Amino acid sequence: MANEFAKMRHLRMGLIASVMVVIVTGLSVAGAATSPAFAVPSGRSWEALLGGMSLAVPLASPLLLAVLASRQVDIEHQGNGWLLSQTSGVTPGGLCRIKLLAVGIVVAVVTILESVLVLVAGLLLGVPDRVPAGLWAGYTASVLVANLVVLALHVLLSARIDNQLVGLGIGVLGTIVAVFATALPPAMAHLTPWGYYALVAAAGYQGTQLVALTPAYGSIAALGAVAAVLFVIVTGRFDRREA
Amino acid sequence: MSYIVATEQLSKRYGSRTVVDSLNLRIPAGCVYGFLGPNGSGKSTTMKMLLSLVRPSSGEVQVMGQPMNRGTRRRLLGHIGSLIESPPGYGHLTGRENIRLVQRLLDLRDEQIDQAVRTVRMQDQLDKKVRDYSLGMKQRLGIAMALARQPRLLILDEPTNGLDPAGIEEIRDLLRRLSDGGVTVMVSSHLLGEIDKTATVLGILSGGRLIFQGTRDELFAASTPDVLIDTPHPEYANTQLKGMVASRLDHGAVRVSGIGDQTTARVVAHLVGAGVDIYGVRRDEQSLEDVFMDLTGGGGL
Repeated sequence: MANEFAKMRHLRMGLIASVMVVIVTGLSVAGAATSPAFAVPSGRSWEALLGGMSLAVPLASPLLLAVLASRQVDIEHQGNGWLLSQTSGVTPGGLCRIKLLAVGIVVAVVTILESVLVLVAGLLLGVPDRVPAGLWAGYTASVLVANLVVLALHVLLSARIDNQLVGLGIGVLGTIVAVFATALPPAMAHLTPWGYYALVAAAGYQGTQLVALTPAYGSIAALGAVAAVLFVIVTGRFDRREA
Repeated sequence: MSYIVATEQLSKRYGSRTVVDSLNLRIPAGCVYGFLGPNGSGKSTTMKMLLSLVRPSSGEVQVMGQPMNRGTRRRLLGHIGSLIESPPGYGHLTGRENIRLVQRLLDLRDEQIDQAVRTVRMQDQLDKKVRDYSLGMKQRLGIAMALARQPRLLILDEPTNGLDPAGIEEIRDLLRRLSDGGVTVMVSSHLLGEIDKTATVLGILSGGRLIFQGTRDELFAASTPDVLIDTPHPEYANTQLKGMVASRLDHGAVRVSGIGDQTTARVVAHLVGAGVDIYGVRRDEQSLEDVFMDLTGGGGL
C-alpha cells in the first residue's frame, strides 16, 4: 500500500483530487447561495445545499474518478510494472486490489471533504435551521459507495485495456448518464453504476418545490455488495492470467 | 552435479501450436547459462515458465530443488532475480524512488539496495527520472532491481537488446562479476556472439526444442566440420562423388559435408581408385557461429 502512495508522486493525483473538491464544493455552494430563499428561516437552505451537491457530484465525479484510476494504473503498462510485481510475488489481481485500496482512500478523503466543506459553508453563510445531520451523513456515505464502485470499475478497465482513452471515454459517458439519470425511471437508473448518483440524491425538485429526499440506501448497499463480489471475482481472474 | 534449475519434459501449447516442446533443461549452480535461439524459438516462454508467470501445458519445473508452482512461487521468487521483456521502471519517478519501491515490496535492507546499485554502477544516476534514462541505464536499473534481493538465480531475457557495443560489453562484464560472486545467471539471446564469451554452459533452442545443451567445447564436438579435398581436378572429383556423399566445389577444392572419419577414408579411396590425384584432405575450421547456424538451420539469425 505504501508503494501505491509512493507511485502517486509526480502523477498530480493531489491536484486532480483537489479539482474534484473545488468543483463539487463550489457548484454546490454557489448554486444554493444564489437562491433567494437561502439563509432565510425555514427557507430550505440545507435542502438547497444538498440539492446542489446532488447535482455537482454526478457532474464532477465520473470523469475525475476515471482520470484518477487511469493515472494510477497506466504507469504499470508504461513501466512494465505488472511483470515487476509478479516476479516479486504480487499478482496482477492483487496489484489491482491494492490500487483500489490506495486510490479509494484518496477518494474517501475527497468525498468526506466535499461534504464537510459544503456543510461548513452553510454554517458560515448563516443558515439558521438545524443541520439535518442524519441525512447529510447518509448522503455522504451513499456517494462514497457510488464513487468507490465507479473507481473500481475504472481500475479494472484501465488494467484490462492498455489504451487509457477507452477508460476516459467511458468516464465521459458515465458523466452523461449520471447527470441525466435523475430524469430516468428509477428502474433504469439501477442499471449502471452512474445511475446510482441520482438514486442517492438527498434533495431535489418535485415540481417547483425543493424537497429533501431519502437516498435509496437499500439500492446503494446492494450495489456496494455486488460490486465488491464482482471486483474480487474479476481480479481473481486477473491472477490466473498468464504474462 | 547440482542443478539450480531442472525441467522435465516441459511443454507449452497454445491451441494446436506447440511453443515449447519437451524441454529438459539442466542449469548447473554457479554457471552463466547462455540460452540461445532464433527469435520466436520459445526462449521467453520458457523463462516465463521457470518464473511461474506462464503455466506449463505439461512437464515440471524444479528450481533450487523444489517444484515451481503457484503454491511455492512467492517463496522461490524471493531468491530469483529476473528481467523479462523490457526493463521495468516507472518513468515519472527517479531511479532512487523506483528502487525504493522494490525495497518496500521485498522488505529489503538499505545495504542490499546500495550493493545492487553499486554492482551496476548506477549510484550517480539515481536522482534522474527514469524517463530521462538511456536504454542502457534502464537495463542496468532493471538489473539492480533484480539483484537487490541478492538472488541465487538471475534470469535475464535478452538484456543486451538495443544496446550499443559498449553497453553490451558492460553487461557481459557484469554477468562475469555476478557469476564470480556465486550467482547463477541464465541469459537469453538470439545472437551467439553476444553471450558466447560469457556463457560457460549453452542451451540452444530451435522451434521450441532443445537441440543442444552443454559446454562450448561440447558444442564444437557435436557438429562435424566439412571435409575439404584439394586436387588439381576438382570438377572431375566432384562428379565421381555424386550419389555417394553430399559434395560441392569450393574455391578450387571439393567440400564434403556431414561425413565421419571412416566415410572420409572411403571417399579418398574411391577418388584414388578413379584416378584423381589428391594433394590434401583436411577438416574445415568452424567458428562457433557456424556450428550454431548448422544446428538451428540458420533460423533467422
